[in-house]
Amino acid sequence: MNFERVVFGFFIILTLSLNVAFVAGGGDRAEHHNVWILTLAIIVNLVAIGLKLGDRSQTGALLLASGLVACFLLITARIVWIVVEPADVGRPGPEGMADIVSIATGALIANIVATVILVGDTLLSRR
Amino acid sequence: MTQTSDIDRVAMIVLRYMRRPLFALLLVYSVGIVGMALMPGQVVDGETTYMNLFHAFYFFTYTATTTGFGELPDGFSNEQRLWTIFCLYTGVIAWFYALGSLIGLVQNPHFTQAMDRFRFARKVEGNVEPFIILCGFGDTGSLLARGLSDHQKRAVILDSDPERIKALGVRDYSVSMPGLCADASAPRHLLAAGVEHPACLALAALTNDDDVNLKIAVMARHLNPRLRVICRSTSARHEANLRALENVTVVDPFEIFAQLVYWAIARPELHNLNAWFVGARGVKLGVPVKVPRGDWILCGYGRMGHWIQRCLLAHGVGVRIIDPGVDSSVAGDGTVIVQAHADHASLVTAGIDDAAGVVAATDRDSDNLSTLLSVMALNPDTFRIVRQNSHENQVAFDAARADLVLQHSLTTARRILKLLVSPLIQELIEWLEEREPAQTEALVARLQGVVGTESPHLWSVRLVADEAPAVVDYLDAGGGVALGALCRDARAFPEGLPCEVLAVRRAGQSIMLPEKTFPLDVGDELLFCSMHRVEPLLQATFHNLYTLRYVLTGVDESRGYLFAWLEERLRRRRAGHKPNGRRP
Repeated sequence: MNFERVVFGFFIILTLSLNVAFVAGGGDRAEHHNVWILTLAIIVNLVAIGLKLGDRSQTGALLLASGLVACFLLITARIVWIVVEPADVGRPGPEGMADIVSIATGALIANIVATVILVGDTLLSRR
Repeated sequence: MTQTSDIDRVAMIVLRYMRRPLFALLLVYSVGIVGMALMPGQVVDGETTYMNLFHAFYFFTYTATTTGFGELPDGFSNEQRLWTIFCLYTGVIAWFYALGSLIGLVQNPHFTQAMDRFRFARKVEGNVEPFIILCGFGDTGSLLARGLSDHQKRAVILDSDPERIKALGVRDYSVSMPGLCADASAPRHLLAAGVEHPACLALAALTNDDDVNLKIAVMARHLNPRLRVICRSTSARHEANLRALENVTVVDPFEIFAQLVYWAIARPELHNLNAWFVGARGVKLGVPVKVPRGDWILCGYGRMGHWIQRCLLAHGVGVRIIDPGVDSSVAGDGTVIVQAHADHASLVTAGIDDAAGVVAATDRDSDNLSTLLSVMALNPDTFRIVRQNSHENQVAFDAARADLVLQHSLTTARRILKLLVSPLIQELIEWLEEREPAQTEALVARLQGVVGTESPHLWSVRLVADEAPAVVDYLDAGGGVALGALCRDARAFPEGLPCEVLAVRRAGQSIMLPEKTFPLDVGDELLFCSMHRVEPLLQATFHNLYTLRYVLTGVDESRGYLFAWLEERLRRRRAGHKPNGRRP
């Protein structure tokens, strides 16, 4: 068992789980989506990217790329949240919410890809 | 250079053929359109209307091509209708004339030939994969092409016989093999086949005519002095000529055949190993043919017979010759010679009863097969080696139950394939031939342990950045890689993968059967023998730095900067602590 793999696997799978936790629910209903989960997903994703820096293997490069895509989309979703959030009410309206959730769903795909690569690489190396 | 000349020729033929029909079309169109525009149309509001030129062209286009489109720009007057009838007949006739000429052009042999050449040259030029030029697509050529296709190597084929090129068209090769019906000794065709192409690996001259082969080899040498040329030759005069040239390998099918006969008779373990390497049918590793000792009867004393006799005599095997045309003075002293066809009577005269075996090596398959029948009737215990000349007679030879069938086109093709695909194997076999049979037997035992009863997979890897980037990185960084450590199984460290490194080639020198501790260097070429499923595992070691480090050290190193840094700190702290801890 390799300690680095445990840590990295933890962060990759946690990102995926948080991403699903944020996206799950009605697409345009702000009360179904928690901005804290989104923020946490971004942070965990950044940590996972940081752990992958320096890996010179092909799968490492692919994992880094998918992590960057997910991070880019999640941060975009968070910025959209800030922009569409009205100053007084506190929650974005249905239209803004639909945008945020669809962008976060895009990030979900990238996170699924990263998890599949991680699991596949581990299974294929057969150690 | 050649391409433009082919284009020019195609363009010239098209122009010459199509000039008249095109002029006829132009004339009919212009007369029809102008006439249509001049014909007075219907009278509207007291004024005669005329069709404008665009409408006239539109109308004429669908009339002349017999499309018969129903739309009319305006209703027609009677004058216009009359002119329409004229347009219709002339237009249709002109079109049929043009189409007929076009079809004639497509069927014109000069045109198709020029087009074939043009297409062939373009295909070769656009090819980026490495390829080999085969001149001659007879038995040897087609067997070689099949072997190359099995190894995923491309070939470009030239043959002067159109039937052979047609035969090429119906083969199902796994890679593209463009062929052209052309005389390969003409430099123009060699250029079209890519003699100067940077991806061209070698040229093999395999036609049945020695003169043509010599010509091809010389032309290729002049056109591209760095290109490797493999030339089939059976004449001693040409061979001396060719061997003087640099980069030219001469392959004499008779010599190869004689060598194989000699191996089968005197070195059965080597013959067995060689046959297993090349993947001959029905060969099991470690089960060599059992050949009795004694004198051999050689039926047929032509060019091949000479080679066989020379080879056997040189290694102390007695030979009795049966041949109707043999001169008793040429064969040397003490050789029994029977001047007759190899039938019952002559076989008895040659002493078939106490002969160890018979080699039926005439250049006629029917003679060889009938000799076999006679031998079976006279002394079924003798060992029977037979030469098969034509690939078509395969079934008859299978049914003849000879102990060993050697087909010289097949043996030649295999030898050339070995030279092209894995030259180290041939070197290994020759190296083993010079040594004691015990060494071969030891290798066979080792290979049996590795591969078992499966058929072997041989491949070679060069330790260069393209083929083994991880190993090159590791070596460049100052690490040492031993052969045995490299072949470890990453799934079950520190056990080795079931593979054997047969040879290492370094700076033009070959090291045969290297030890497990052999230190490798950048640029080495390794020849592996194993099973198909092992190659991807070794490839993973060659390409992935982390897998390589793991199989070399057994430690799964950290990959990211963060963990590498943490590990480094931990190591330093431990190193710093230990001396302190030991202090009292």
